[in-house]
Amino acid sequence: MAATQARDDLDTGGARPASRRWIALRARMMSLTRPRRPEALPARFDRRRIYVLPTGFGLFYGALLATMTLGALNYNNNPAFLLALLLGGAGLASLIAAQLQLAGLSIVAIDAEPVPAGMPLTVRVHARAAPDRVRRGLRVDDHGALGIDAAVLDLEQGAGEAELRIATERRGWLDLPRLRVSTTRPLGLARAWAHVWPEAPLLVYPTPEAHGPPLPVGGGDQAVTRLHPSGDDVHHLRAYRFGDARRAIAWKHSARRDTLLVREYEQPLGADVELEWHRLSGLGQEARISRLARWVDEAERDGCRYRLSLPNQPTLGPGTGPSHRHACLRALALMPHG
Amino acid sequence: MAKPAAPALEPVTRRWALLAGASCLLPLLLQLPLQIAAVIAAAGVGIGVLSWRRPLPSALRLVLLLALIGTVLIMTGFALGRDTGCALLAAMFALKPSETYTLRDARSLIGFALFGPFATFLLDQGPLSLTLGLAAAMFALSTLQRLAEIESRPDPLRASEPAQTHWQRLQAIGRLVAIGLPLALAVFWLFPRLSSPLWGVPERALARPGLSDRMSPGEMVDLMNDETVTLRARFRGAAPPTSQMYWRGPVLWNFDGRAWTQPRWFQGLPAAPMRAGRTGWDYELEVEPTDTRQFVSLDLPREAPPGTRLSIDHGIYAERALTSLSRWRLQSAPPVSYEPQLRETLRRAALSLPSGYNPRTLALARRWRAEAGNNDAAIVDRALAMIRREFVYTLATPLLGRHSVDEFLFDHKAGFCEHFSSSFVVLMRAAGIPARVVTGYAGGYFNPVGNYWLVRRSDAHAWAEVWLQGRGWVRVDPTAAVAPERIYDTLADRRPGAGGLFGGIAGATPLFNLSDWLRRGWNDFVLGFDASRQQRMLQPFGIDRLDSSKLITLFVLFASATLLWMVWLSSRGERERDPVLRAWRRLSRRYRRLGLEREAHEPALAWAERVTKARPDLGESLLRLSQHFSDWRYAGGQPGRREARELRNELVRALRAHRPGPTGERR
Repeated sequence: MAATQARDDLDTGGARPASRRWIALRARMMSLTRPRRPEALPARFDRRRIYVLPTGFGLFYGALLATMTLGALNYNNNPAFLLALLLGGAGLASLIAAQLQLAGLSIVAIDAEPVPAGMPLTVRVHARAAPDRVRRGLRVDDHGALGIDAAVLDLEQGAGEAELRIATERRGWLDLPRLRVSTTRPLGLARAWAHVWPEAPLLVYPTPEAHGPPLPVGGGDQAVTRLHPSGDDVHHLRAYRFGDARRAIAWKHSARRDTLLVREYEQPLGADVELEWHRLSGLGQEARISRLARWVDEAERDGCRYRLSLPNQPTLGPGTGPSHRHACLRALALMPHG
Repeated sequence: MAKPAAPALEPVTRRWALLAGASCLLPLLLQLPLQIAAVIAAAGVGIGVLSWRRPLPSALRLVLLLALIGTVLIMTGFALGRDTGCALLAAMFALKPSETYTLRDARSLIGFALFGPFATFLLDQGPLSLTLGLAAAMFALSTLQRLAEIESRPDPLRASEPAQTHWQRLQAIGRLVAIGLPLALAVFWLFPRLSSPLWGVPERALARPGLSDRMSPGEMVDLMNDETVTLRARFRGAAPPTSQMYWRGPVLWNFDGRAWTQPRWFQGLPAAPMRAGRTGWDYELEVEPTDTRQFVSLDLPREAPPGTRLSIDHGIYAERALTSLSRWRLQSAPPVSYEPQLRETLRRAALSLPSGYNPRTLALARRWRAEAGNNDAAIVDRALAMIRREFVYTLATPLLGRHSVDEFLFDHKAGFCEHFSSSFVVLMRAAGIPARVVTGYAGGYFNPVGNYWLVRRSDAHAWAEVWLQGRGWVRVDPTAAVAPERIYDTLADRRPGAGGLFGGIAGATPLFNLSDWLRRGWNDFVLGFDASRQQRMLQPFGIDRLDSSKLITLFVLFASATLLWMVWLSSRGERERDPVLRAWRRLSRRYRRLGLEREAHEPALAWAERVTKARPDLGESLLRLSQHFSDWRYAGGQPGRREARELRNELVRALRAHRPGPTGERR
């Protein structure tokens, strides 16, 4: 995003390919900053892990004030000196204020709804702080590690959340990079930042196959049927209810009984779907995983009960519903990478 | 990789940035000569309008820049000085709107704009400049704040944040400045000052109104209509009577028929011998900036104060131009004899007249000389008597021709100090009496608030000194012979404020007195503070001189103390306005030590119940308090206002009194 890039310009310098040495230096600096390893949440920002450095504009402002001070001292011009000092004092106060925007803030949780690999993962960062200070416009980003767009964190009554969108490529556990919470408020002279490095990884489902064969027909024991208005077999008649389609009314039966009766149909939905790893022996590891992922989604969409059996794992199901789907997709996502 | 284009500013923010820039430029423009200021302002507005919708091509910008710089240089006559530099700065700044489109541009605009007040203060330190300059700096800071908000919110349209009002912004900036103020003041008073500048101070190229080393016809009228204060004096001991208050400035020897000038060639000679009488005055002068090196002193100074030099005619010259307010301690005395032996070269200079001017005056002088013989004093008296008898004082004088002295003495017979002193000196020289014109100020106004005298530019005056055998130079004021009340500030209409801002308001004088006293205090306390004052700062506490090592120690001490104070002030957080809520939060914080602090999401009663489970001994009173608190906070329909306030205060007191201890409630 354009704003991010502009910020990087004003920052101590964005990562440009030409400056390899700079990147190396920055990586080294990053390895020195806290936290140095992933940590369990909640993580509270205390003053040892908040860093404040002047922005490019802050340096310019400082140079400007230095010029003013030197000039004022040389001319022994007290109003000019006072002006420079007042501006300097306000600048220093803004440094402290920037630091205090972060001090006492806790990142209490980070969560995300799993998505198939390739889709952006929406990561919610939940923050808490004592409601004694206005904390707004905090920026959350990954300091260029994954190139994610910055999100804005506003605290309302001491709590707030930011939504990051992280691009995903691989199924499985996604280790979050070190996230940076930063602000340049109030004057844009200095950037205060603190890192949070959540150790809990986020799950990314496997990418479902785009075009593949339909669901294998189920051969399970317990075939289920479902009432369906457009089914073929009449199941039974029941009393008319407001809103029933007119063509569903069984006129002959209704005439006999002096009351409106409606036909209800049923459709056999077949047996439980068996999703078995071994049956897909012709495919490669990843192709099998993505086909199974697609079938899981299709079975879920069709409302079928399905069972997933993977090598070296107990069979999942049969079952249906979000939690079953999650269990299946999780198991698929965590299959070893082939 | 190409540099990514910076995001464009939305119009509202751009407008604010430009407005902040303009407000910083305004005080500077007020200090520049009117025409130059008008040109720069017009250019700024024009460029702002032209570039409102889309950027100007860079070639056009360059042309505009060169044109504007050229115009300013031509208007100042290519005289390079402090004010020309400021004018050029203002001119370049006027072009800034044409290159302000992104956040980064806006920031650089604000950064450069902050030089506006700074440059203003270099030119002028009056109250108007100070007020405007500080207001502009505040405005610039609040714009920086606005820019930082924009920066942290890439998509302002989706902003959930309620927009701050201007007042809130200003408050936030005021808070930042106030927090930084103690440090700023500590640095101001304690940071070691330079006793001599690191580099030469460029003088102003365009003269500031004031006494000059030149007196040409009509030049003084401008001064005499200017009510600006030029110096303040506080006497230690007796002050001279107003009729003796001659503030002596440039002494003019050379006359070319039209203008009087100061000779350059014998300025380096040592001061002429002077024998002072018994009376003397000890006083402290506070000289407003003049941008010349010379400043006035009462009558004859006994010796040059440190950092100055006396010229042969007892003019005081500082080592550097007085670009800012300066203070001098002086002893003066009326002379008993002053240069009784006149050197021949000086004598010739004090007698020379341009040939071919004022024949009637020369003839009159020759006649008087013939009648008086050797008695110089008689000629002086005769001239004064003539002036007293036949002449009147007026500021409305016709333009004089080639024989200006003749026309004044024989035709118009009306004029002001410039004419009187000039004609008198010409008359004396023609009669063979060495004479010279002295310019300066006469009289003064005593401010009972603060107990000091102030002299305004309108007190500018010119008089004569004649050299008499045995006595040396003697002051003769021909104008005083005609209109003493015009000179010594004794007329009611010449009182301060009479024609000025508070004109016509009876009783405005006390107001003026008070405001000038405040101004003097500001001068004293802030403007006149320099290296030597800094060293003497702790004299009242018995420390005679602060050398730089002591000063640096003090500075470090105070600066760190104020830094800590800043951190403390900043970290206090915003105070809850509602006293009940405040007391309630404090109460729940008191339970932190017991590990029973209220969670943020916990309702009051639920918390009290939780505490009761853990600590039955505290629970009862806490439950009662929570019940009260919830009732007060959530039960609508307050009874009468006064009753409500009493109830509230009672609740606050009860909340404050509740103190949980490790075993039961502490009393």
